Formats: sequence, C-alpha cells, structure tokens
Amino acid sequence: MPETLVSPLDERVPPAAFAARRLESVKGARLALLDISKAGGSVFLDRLETLLKDRFDVAEVLRFRKPTFAKPAPESVLEDIRKAQPQAVIEALAD
Amino acid sequence: MLADGDRVPAIEGVARDGPALLAFFKTDCPACHLTLRYLDDLSSQLGDSDVLGISQDGQESTSELVDALGLRIPVRFDRGLAASVACGLEAVPALFLVDGRGSVAGSCQGFDKAGLNRLGAALADLSGVARPAPAPSGDGNPDFQPGCVSRHLEPEADAPGAAPVDLYARRGRRASRVSVPSGMGAEEFCYEQGFADPLPVVPPTVGRVDRMIAASGLAPAEIIAHVPPNYGPASVEKIAANAVMAGCRPAYMRVLVPAVKALCDERLDIHGVQGTTHFAAPLAIVNGPVRSELGFACGSNVFSNAARANSTVGRAIQLILRNLGGAAPGRIDMSTLGNPGRFSYVVGEHEERSPWEPLASDFGVPEGGNAVTFFCAEPPRAVSEHKARTGEVLLRAICPVLANVWSHRVCSRSEALVVIGPEHAATLQRSGFSKRDVVEFLYSNTGIPLREYDGDGGEGTHEASLYEECVIRGVRCYRKFRKPESIRVMVAGGPAGKFSVVLGSWATGPGGSQMVCQQFD
Repeated sequence: MPETLVSPLDERVPPAAFAARRLESVKGARLALLDISKAGGSVFLDRLETLLKDRFDVAEVLRFRKPTFAKPAPESVLEDIRKAQPQAVIEALAD
Repeated sequence: MLADGDRVPAIEGVARDGPALLAFFKTDCPACHLTLRYLDDLSSQLGDSDVLGISQDGQESTSELVDALGLRIPVRFDRGLAASVACGLEAVPALFLVDGRGSVAGSCQGFDKAGLNRLGAALADLSGVARPAPAPSGDGNPDFQPGCVSRHLEPEADAPGAAPVDLYARRGRRASRVSVPSGMGAEEFCYEQGFADPLPVVPPTVGRVDRMIAASGLAPAEIIAHVPPNYGPASVEKIAANAVMAGCRPAYMRVLVPAVKALCDERLDIHGVQGTTHFAAPLAIVNGPVRSELGFACGSNVFSNAARANSTVGRAIQLILRNLGGAAPGRIDMSTLGNPGRFSYVVGEHEERSPWEPLASDFGVPEGGNAVTFFCAEPPRAVSEHKARTGEVLLRAICPVLANVWSHRVCSRSEALVVIGPEHAATLQRSGFSKRDVVEFLYSNTGIPLREYDGDGGEGTHEASLYEECVIRGVRCYRKFRKPESIRVMVAGGPAGKFSVVLGSWATGPGGSQMVCQQFD
C-alpha cells in the first residue's frame, strides 16, 4: 500500500495573470517612475527621467515614491498612480 | 483516466469521423500554456490534421489565453466539465489521441515532451502525413513539468471567480493527501516535491501529522496566520506537517503555534525580511518555564546544535516560511550571502544565570510567563573579553562591535540585541549594573568617530548631517543608535567562557521590522 503524506505546501492556485501589453514606442508617452525609496534611487531616477525626455522624446514623466523600501507599496500610492493614468510604470530598484 | 481502447465521450464541436489529438487544459495552469504552444507548432507541421484544445474554463478567460499565446489551433469548451469527468481526468494538461473510430489510441498528462512527440508521430501515422518533431530536447524548456489538478476536482474555494484571499479567515480547508509512488523512498519524494530545505526530512505521514495536531489541542483547519510574502494560510494541519518534517516532537506545537502567530505579525514585517538581499533572518527567543519543560537550550552552544527543541522548532519556522510563505532561496529570497540562521535560529534565555528581568518583560510579559520573541537579526558577532574586571571595561569591549552593526558609518537606523554570556553577566552584576544601566552605557558609549566621514563618501556619509554628535572619551563621534531602546539585552550561553554576542537588525522602526513578542500558556 502506498505511503500517504500530508501536503505541507500552500495549495492555493494562483489566478492567471499575463504581462501587460508592451508599448511599441515611448515617444510622446506619459510614463510613471516609482521610487521604492532605497538610498540612491532618486539619483538614478533623476538621470533616467532626463534620458527618457532627451533621448526618447517621452512627453511627461510622473514621479511616485513608496514610503519605505521595506514594505509593499501602500494602496494610496497605487491609487495615486492609477489616477494619474500613465501609459506605463517603471519601478526602480536601487542598491 | 481513459486507457487505450476506451471510447472518448462526446464533446460539443468535436467531430468523431477522423483521427484527432485532444488536449484538455485550464487557463491558469502554466504546464497547459507550455503544452498549447507546442501543440500549435505540431498542428502547423501536420497541416490539416485535427489538433484541438478543450478548455475547462469559460469563453472570456479562454479567449484571453488564446490571444496571449497567439494560438491558432481550434479550441472547444468542456461545458459543465462533463467530458473531464467522463474521461476520469486527474490533472491537466491531459492529451488523448483519438483514432478514426472514436477510441483512445494514446495519452499523456502534464507537459511531457516525449509524450508530445509520441502522440504527434502517431497522429501523423493515422493521418498519413510525415512525422513531425514538435518538441526537441534542449530548447530551453524542461522535458517534463507536472500539470495542475483538473478543474472538476478543485475545491469550490479555489475555482476561478472565487473571492479574493481573506487574510482574516479563521478556518481553511484540509490539506491534500499525497501518495508516494511505489519504488520511491518517502524522504526522496519529499525532496523532489519541493517540500524541504536541502536537508533530509521526516516524511509527514498522516499518522505523524495527526499526532502533532492532537498535541496542539486545536482544530486541523483552524488558521493561525497567513504567511508572507504569498500569505499562504498556516492552518494547524499545515503547521503540523512542517513540524513533522523538521523533526519536532508533538509537544513542541505549544511553542510553534504562538511562534507562527508572532512571525506573521505585521510589525515584524517578515514580508520584507523574506525578500531582502540583506543577511537578516528571524531569530526566536524563548522565555519562561517552557524552556525546561520542553528542553530548549539556553546554555552552552545556545546558537548552535545543542538541543532538539531549538533546532527543530527553528527548522519548522523556516520550512513554514518557505512552504507556506513562498520565499525560498533564488525564489523571492535573494539574500546576497544568506545566514546560517536560515536553517534554524532559536535560542532560550538563560534566565537562571541572569541578574536581570528576562527579555520578554521588556514587552510586558510578567516574570515567569512563557513567551516567544522575534528579532530579525544578522548572524551573531562575537565579543571575547577575558580580562575585564569591571562592568565598564567589559562594556567598552562590546561598544566597538555594536558600532559596526548594519554598516559602519550608518547611524540612527539600526537596532541591536546584545546577548551577554553568563560570566560577563556576573561581572556586570558585581559592578552593580542593572539591565537599564547596561543599555544606557552601551547607548552613550557607542559612536562612530567624525574622522571616519572625512573620506570620499560611502554608505552613511550623505546623511551625516542628520546624526547626533557626541563626545566619547574625548573623541567627537556620531551616536550610533537613535535611542537607548534601540539596544536590547538578554543573557544566554554556557557557564564557562567570557564571551558575548551582538546581533544587528534589518531595517527597523515602523517602516521596517519591529520586535514582536507573543505570550502563551
């Protein structure tokens, strides 16, 4: 008789999710940059914003920031991003 | 599942007058996605031969999947899942080759390259066309990937459209029973199924898990907490299964259950700790009579392999984080160098050798009460001081070690736990130091000299203007800690040896991890 074990794992089935459709071009786009508030992240994002505008003709760059890198973004930050209706969001990690 | 020669049930939109390859799938199954991509390629190689997807889901999610994968094969629907039931499906993807008379001529389950090639060749033979080679080995995808349970066997709560995860649910569902395949050892099976850390485990048989649950005195489906970062429900039964694997005695559930509760307290922010590149791992400190009742070590080798209770409860905590929380090395847990405490990190406080009140009393637990306290800690930093005759000389040896927690020049951000060895505790007691005196001394005398900030930058230098300046023994310094309460003190270790330990924290305060203490009977 086969040995029967009790599953020790999380057995929930994750809901199906697909990657968001990619922009064909960022020219003229309205983009959001999310700073996760790690040291040096704002320096990196300042430069990225400049490059996006100067080199890739991005029309507008919106800036958002998590209060702490140590925890998930609070709903208020996500809601602010949604309300601003950017065409894409770049989340910046930094170390 | 239907065997070769069995009749295939009628499925709406599937003709029965020629050979066909039918693939049952559901839209949220990764192995199904993989299989459908290969079937699409197979279909294009076979020309007019019938390769059909049979979706166990509705029109909307199926169309989304078809669009996302760019599928060209026709897709039909198993309405009411009647065909899935009639075919005796256990898992999807499930593939059936149907001959021209409506009988099964071959089958396979899961994403299976060998099966795909075998069924593709057989379909070509039945259709009288050239044999294709749709699934080459070494193309970047695995040769085999198990599928997911068939939709009709899912509990209702997991069906698509079910309510989102309820983080406050108090009752869950019972854990699945898993049969070990004949010819395979249960220990090896656990390892293959991803149940374990890299060490061998005790297989969680139904009998062993039931004994563990009985010792807890709780209902198996009762949910104690949801384990970050995936927030998997930690039911008593799941905790028990992991406790068995870790080698716990049933009596240890008395500590493990409150420990899981504390571990998942939002203030500890185990969500962040499980995903950090830092060294931090949750250290559990046990206080109270339960130490001697269950055999928790608090003396010699307290940080290593001294006692079954420490080692196995600590391992159970780590298995629970991994199996229910979802963070495993290389998968969410991306610590750059790791921490040996990720195998097990539990110590008892040596209250009998401490001149002071126990650590748990800092959190309001009355003396003599049982408690487990979590501190997300770096690996231990050693302090060796064998010549100090006074408490002050001894503490001056601890200050430089404290000064280096987190990062040498970063001040005001971290916390620390100082574990004083019994001989050091005796020296401090002789010098009349209360626990508060120890903390105040360490706070006042730990700093980073200003000259350390004269160089070309480095971590902590940019925010130096925010630090509090002080003078320590004539040297201008920045104060290392924000407040005395950033330093906690406890006593542990063996009777001989003038050693202590300093443990630095991860990110602290309301924006990071705060110590959490859970009292229990």
